[in-house]
Amino acid sequence: MNEKVAVYISRELYERVKKEVEESGGEFKDVSEYIEFVLEELLKEENEEAVYTKEEEEEIKRRLRALGYM
Amino acid sequence: MRKLLVIGLDAAPPRLLYEELVGELPTLGALIEEGARYQLKSCHPPITIPAWAVMTTGKTPGELGLYGFRHRKPGAYNEYWIASSRSIHFPQTWDILGRRGLRSVIVGVPPSYPPRPIRGYMISCFITPSNEVRFTWPPSLKRELKDYIFDVVFRTNERDKLIQELWRMTKRRFQVLRMLSRRKWDFFMFVEIGVDRVQHAFWGYMDKEHHKYEPGNKYEEVIKEYYKLIDEELEQLLKEVPKDAIIVLVSDHGAKRMKGAFCVNQWLADEGYLKLKEEPKKPGMELREVEVDWSQTTAWGWGGYYARIFINLKGREPHGYIDKRDYEAIRDQLIRDLERIRGPHGERWDTKAYRPEDLYQEVKGSPPDLIVYFDDLSWRSAGTLGWPTNYLRENDRGPDDAVHDWYGIYVVHDPQGTIEVGEKGIMKIECINDHLLELIGV
Repeated sequence: MNEKVAVYISRELYERVKKEVEESGGEFKDVSEYIEFVLEELLKEENEEAVYTKEEEEEIKRRLRALGYM
Repeated sequence: MRKLLVIGLDAAPPRLLYEELVGELPTLGALIEEGARYQLKSCHPPITIPAWAVMTTGKTPGELGLYGFRHRKPGAYNEYWIASSRSIHFPQTWDILGRRGLRSVIVGVPPSYPPRPIRGYMISCFITPSNEVRFTWPPSLKRELKDYIFDVVFRTNERDKLIQELWRMTKRRFQVLRMLSRRKWDFFMFVEIGVDRVQHAFWGYMDKEHHKYEPGNKYEEVIKEYYKLIDEELEQLLKEVPKDAIIVLVSDHGAKRMKGAFCVNQWLADEGYLKLKEEPKKPGMELREVEVDWSQTTAWGWGGYYARIFINLKGREPHGYIDKRDYEAIRDQLIRDLERIRGPHGERWDTKAYRPEDLYQEVKGSPPDLIVYFDDLSWRSAGTLGWPTNYLRENDRGPDDAVHDWYGIYVVHDPQGTIEVGEKGIMKIECINDHLLELIGV
């Protein structure tokens, strides 16, 4: 998983992604991290990874109960 | 190819928008009067999740495998998972448009957390845990959304505070919508959840038929004032929208007065379907907090705007009691017993209990064994126990005034006049996705 391989993208796309990384305000370390995130999001299957942390899930359940959905 | 703006008002009913308030809302009123008007027939169940997902995929809840906000984890009595954007395995309207090179702005369409990469911009919906997480696409958009508000907590008796919070949330959302409307887009869709919240919290103050209604109460006009706020905000938003864009106004289901909450698990226990090892110690206890004799239990239920009934089937459940060969007979018996339930004064109810396969051609995921609407949705389902009666005048989760209803609104307004104006009959929620694509011209 952590082994990295090199892929090639056009310079123009690279520059666009780089701009997005700069504007993300520290959300992404670099272009590689951004591209890996986007591709993972696109290819993600349900239940592959939890959507919520345990605390977030408890909070969402509390809110949904309070809202009457359950 | 046409640009299209979809204004989503969660739970807006025809009664308010087409009849009672239309004359007092200049912007919404003009869209409605000069548009093609449909009664939108919601899905089973008519609830925010799955309804918006049905609308934006054209798939039924059975195909989506989405029957509400929560779903059982197979093999466990008390564990469930919460629906999220990742629960949707079909392309949504904006995905289809994105593949054709068209750009979308999507704000608050449930379930849209976590936000997925799209061609354009996305802000996730009210199931977003907090502003701390990544809730936009692209992630950099979040930096422009300081103080964005996803939702309010409406089951509070501090009504004045709730009004303030609702107004603040909606004004902030429209600020963001105006900002995004100036970007490049072909398809722009947002959902204002505040409509549902204001109706749940204040319906009893407005509706003269409601058991809580008192003439001249100080909150009588809150729902109307909230729609006026939306109207004013929309007027500003529409100034930013290209003049030739088609405008759609839509809700995912309707709303009506709540008559009460029916205690489904207490009833199942009364009828011998559910066996408890102990009496609940206090009112409002969850089923998981009470010791259940699963070795003798036939069925149990979940609360919400509708009841989900699960049969304790051998081979499927941890301590299954019902043999597979008896399953259909038990379901049939339950349907007969459920549909015979009468109201608190012995009045006849219009209760319907469905097998999922009666409602959907395809049934995926973890559906309940029965889907039940008490008195045509007028009574919500309470899953908690320990109450002195099976008929609660309030929701078991706290004060609530409204329930959902089958029909929402769907209005298509074309400023270029290509669409015939007037009453158009019924539009099924499953058909909206195709209709929107057709309007755009793809």
